[in-house]
Amino acid sequence: MTTYAFLLDLGRCIGCQACVAACKTGNELPPGVQYIHISEQTRGVFPALQSSIKNHRCYHCADAACVAVCPTGALYKEDGLTRLDASQCSGCAYCVDACPFNVPQLVNGRSNKCDGCAEVVKAGGQPWCVKTCPSNALMYGERETIIAEAHRRAEALRVRYPNVQVYGETQLGGLGVVMVLPDQPEQLDLPANPQIPAVLNTWQNVVQPASVGLLGFSLAFTGLAAIIARRNHKQEVAHLHVQNSAEETAAVQPDHANET
Amino acid sequence: MARTKLQISRRNFLKSSLLSAAALSISSCSAQPLATVLNQNGLRLPWFRTGEIKTTYNYCDMCPWRCGIVVKSVDGQIYKVDGNPADPKSRGMLCARGQAGPSFVYDPDRLRAPMIRTGARGEGKFKEVTWAEALDYTAEKLKITGQAFGPEAVAVFGHTSGDFWFTDYFAQAWGTPNAAKPSSSLCTSPREEAAKLTYGLPIGGHEPVDWDAINCIVLIGSHIGEDARNTVMQDFANAWARGAKVIVVDPRFSNVAAKADYWLPIKPGTDTALLLAWLNVLINEERYDKAYVADWTTGLEALAAHVAPFTPEWAAEITDLPAESIRATARLMADNLPQAAIIPGRHVTWYGNDTQRMRAIYMINALLGAYGREGGIYFSKSPYIEAYPHPPFAVTGSSGGCSAEPGQESAELPLGPTGKARADGARTNFLRGATAMQELIPPMISDEPYPIKALIVYGVNLLNSIPNPQRTIEALKKLDFVLAVDVLPQEHVAWADVVFPEATALERYDELWVVAHKTPYIAMREPAIEPLYDTKPAWWMVRELGLRLGMEPYFRWETAEEYLDARLLSIGSSLDKMRQTDGVIVQQGKPYFEDFAGESPFPTASGKIELYSDELASAGFEPMPTYEPVAEPPAGYFRLLYGRHPVHTFAKTQNTPLLNELYPENELWLNEDEAGRQGITNGQYVWLENQDGARSGPIKVKATQRIRSDAVYMVHGFGQNAPELSRANGQGASDTKLQTTYALDPISGGAGMRVNFVRIVKEV
Repeated sequence: MTTYAFLLDLGRCIGCQACVAACKTGNELPPGVQYIHISEQTRGVFPALQSSIKNHRCYHCADAACVAVCPTGALYKEDGLTRLDASQCSGCAYCVDACPFNVPQLVNGRSNKCDGCAEVVKAGGQPWCVKTCPSNALMYGERETIIAEAHRRAEALRVRYPNVQVYGETQLGGLGVVMVLPDQPEQLDLPANPQIPAVLNTWQNVVQPASVGLLGFSLAFTGLAAIIARRNHKQEVAHLHVQNSAEETAAVQPDHANET
Repeated sequence: MARTKLQISRRNFLKSSLLSAAALSISSCSAQPLATVLNQNGLRLPWFRTGEIKTTYNYCDMCPWRCGIVVKSVDGQIYKVDGNPADPKSRGMLCARGQAGPSFVYDPDRLRAPMIRTGARGEGKFKEVTWAEALDYTAEKLKITGQAFGPEAVAVFGHTSGDFWFTDYFAQAWGTPNAAKPSSSLCTSPREEAAKLTYGLPIGGHEPVDWDAINCIVLIGSHIGEDARNTVMQDFANAWARGAKVIVVDPRFSNVAAKADYWLPIKPGTDTALLLAWLNVLINEERYDKAYVADWTTGLEALAAHVAPFTPEWAAEITDLPAESIRATARLMADNLPQAAIIPGRHVTWYGNDTQRMRAIYMINALLGAYGREGGIYFSKSPYIEAYPHPPFAVTGSSGGCSAEPGQESAELPLGPTGKARADGARTNFLRGATAMQELIPPMISDEPYPIKALIVYGVNLLNSIPNPQRTIEALKKLDFVLAVDVLPQEHVAWADVVFPEATALERYDELWVVAHKTPYIAMREPAIEPLYDTKPAWWMVRELGLRLGMEPYFRWETAEEYLDARLLSIGSSLDKMRQTDGVIVQQGKPYFEDFAGESPFPTASGKIELYSDELASAGFEPMPTYEPVAEPPAGYFRLLYGRHPVHTFAKTQNTPLLNELYPENELWLNEDEAGRQGITNGQYVWLENQDGARSGPIKVKATQRIRSDAVYMVHGFGQNAPELSRANGQGASDTKLQTTYALDPISGGAGMRVNFVRIVKEV
């Protein structure tokens, strides 16, 4: 089966945020919601400085913790990417908690994250961020091709960046965003060896296949929920707050104008 | 008009599901089933599946670079703007600001109807009127001013991509030489005047750097990536990835400095000393392109003698840079010549000695043999097309944008119908003929050399772009009549007598965008939707005014389409034909020496690049650049530096919802160690007070290692005091309001703005 992936070349990325804006407009993301976050990573002391851009987004893990933990199937893998059918989302926020990269957010009570521009790509287009990127730091294509391109670019950069490396080829079963990193991942605020919480591995490998048995399902679900719920409580309060403010800003929007 | 967004609440979801089910059950008999906007799961379909997509061609108005774009709308609503793949600037890609074009259109704070002032000037009280009333009133005021003081008493300031109609067409037809654009004296005039003095050629709006083959890129203050000109970001990234060497000279560790092979954190104000030392190394070590210099330059001997004392050791003392770095970077350029160049840059009005600094840059590029060579600086060429046929203008003179053509400038300034030349002091207070917008403010106050009594402001954020805004307010109080033409209720709009609300670029036809380039080209603009509210395009406004002012012969065309088709016919084209070639016409350029068949491409007196300038010498200026120290910050003060953020343009986009969301307020870059010494923490809000007691703020401190300790930096365009701008009002600090003084460049008339100092005030 052909799988697809993004290339994210942090050597080339210059932090212009064109991808952020293209994503927001193309996907009609409401105020306060971004699928891509740009920030700077600066190291050293004046004038011996190094800096690179952090381009934080869903990395579309092959072993996706969010998919493993999603009780409704709203999150699922397709073509190597992690899709989201928001209509199936119950708003439990387990994905929010399980993601090793802190990516999914709850928006109006539903999970929300990059789905690789599924609709656009299926219509033959390029994801919005890729299409607009002025520095050609982004590409989208068959994962094999993307990995080859990532290695080609990394080798070309080695003169400048001795620590240059390709990230995402193997992590978490292989990420759907293969990155060219100019430095060690830790220097760029990325875990060298990201891990899914052990409890989720159990959930995915043992319980989920066996979950045809209602008892097994409910027992496992209860156990998982208990573990996560304690950590979730604080975040849910925060999410509620975000939701409320999002609803306020939505007051002028047709969907909501009809509600009252 | 609100945009429909993907907003799903639980309640909404349930309701949508029910509606969707209902829609499916009745879809066989309903002409407009809800299924067109909702999918089978009750979620709203993505915009591009809600109906037929209408595609229109345009050039972007979100910054002055003006990339070609394709605009996608469905059922009269604009959803998406993409780069036009056929356009030589955008090549299918687009920056964040361009992506926010629809957000600019749907900004609910837009001006919606023509207005006439009812309160005191500056109070911002207006009544909405009809267009006929607003136009009649304005025409009457202009007529009275013209009759009493001559047409020269009307000044026209314009910026953004519709400024042609007011600043060029209307001003010349009406008869005022006092038309100005900030892109000249507040931005590029030293760059252009220095280029004309040295090469006989302007640099032009699209800097002619031959990025495809350049091997050594030198940036002085240019912060590519933060300054997000789309094409330049593309070209830089490709050259960098190809392995081109990069030298960045900047007191701040910019994003592009982080990609450089050499970052030279120069002491602000000392750039010319560095440039002189580079010249010294290139000449002393005989590391210049000897054949090129012999063939195409004059004055090398004089230059060699002139720069002999300016060793790297001499410059090291002044610039706070190691002599070895200065020498190494000069050699790196030489190693790569002629595929090496200092990029001319854009905003270069820094210290008042800017034309001489730019001359030094061009001399280095000449020694590197870069101009006219592959991988250096190419000769840009304007596309061929005729102007719309009209009677001779009442006054013919460039309004001084950044793309003036060579040969347009004569020794004599053009005179208005009553015999008056431009009132900005060109040829008297400064040498050259470029328009100095800021120098047109004093005549509004003093009536010297003659009165300016009326002002038309098109798209210029008057109080957040011209230094010494306190003086501009004094002028606004004294003027007899002020017309503001704008999309948004900017700060100065409160000072207008009449307000014309303009349709945005995505809602109008406009003048063709005719671009001098490696491949000369022409781009078109057509509306994607009808103008929102009661807004109108500038071409319509000037025509309606012209018809009321007895200027009918200039306005024989009735529609923009008619005007545009007449122009396009001169090259055998039309709007329809342009649409068939994706809205762009590309012509053949002449980028290199080989394209000139042995003729000199340099229209200077000598036909060569003039390292030594007779024109400057005979006018009493240094014929070759010297280093002139600039004033140092007083104790306790920092030099105020400013620049760009990639999601904002000047003082135009701070209120645009999408861009405001991405960067709502500017930050004060302050050296981290210096912050510690002052007891200031990262994220703390402070106020700034300049050397004259002007204050702005509060602004959030970004305590960082990425800047020298003798300067602070902020993104330009924030700190606007415009209550009608619901998002931008009062956000961050204004660099302009802290620029109570500026240094006039005695050659170009540019306003050097980096001569202001600020101290940090922790509480007010």
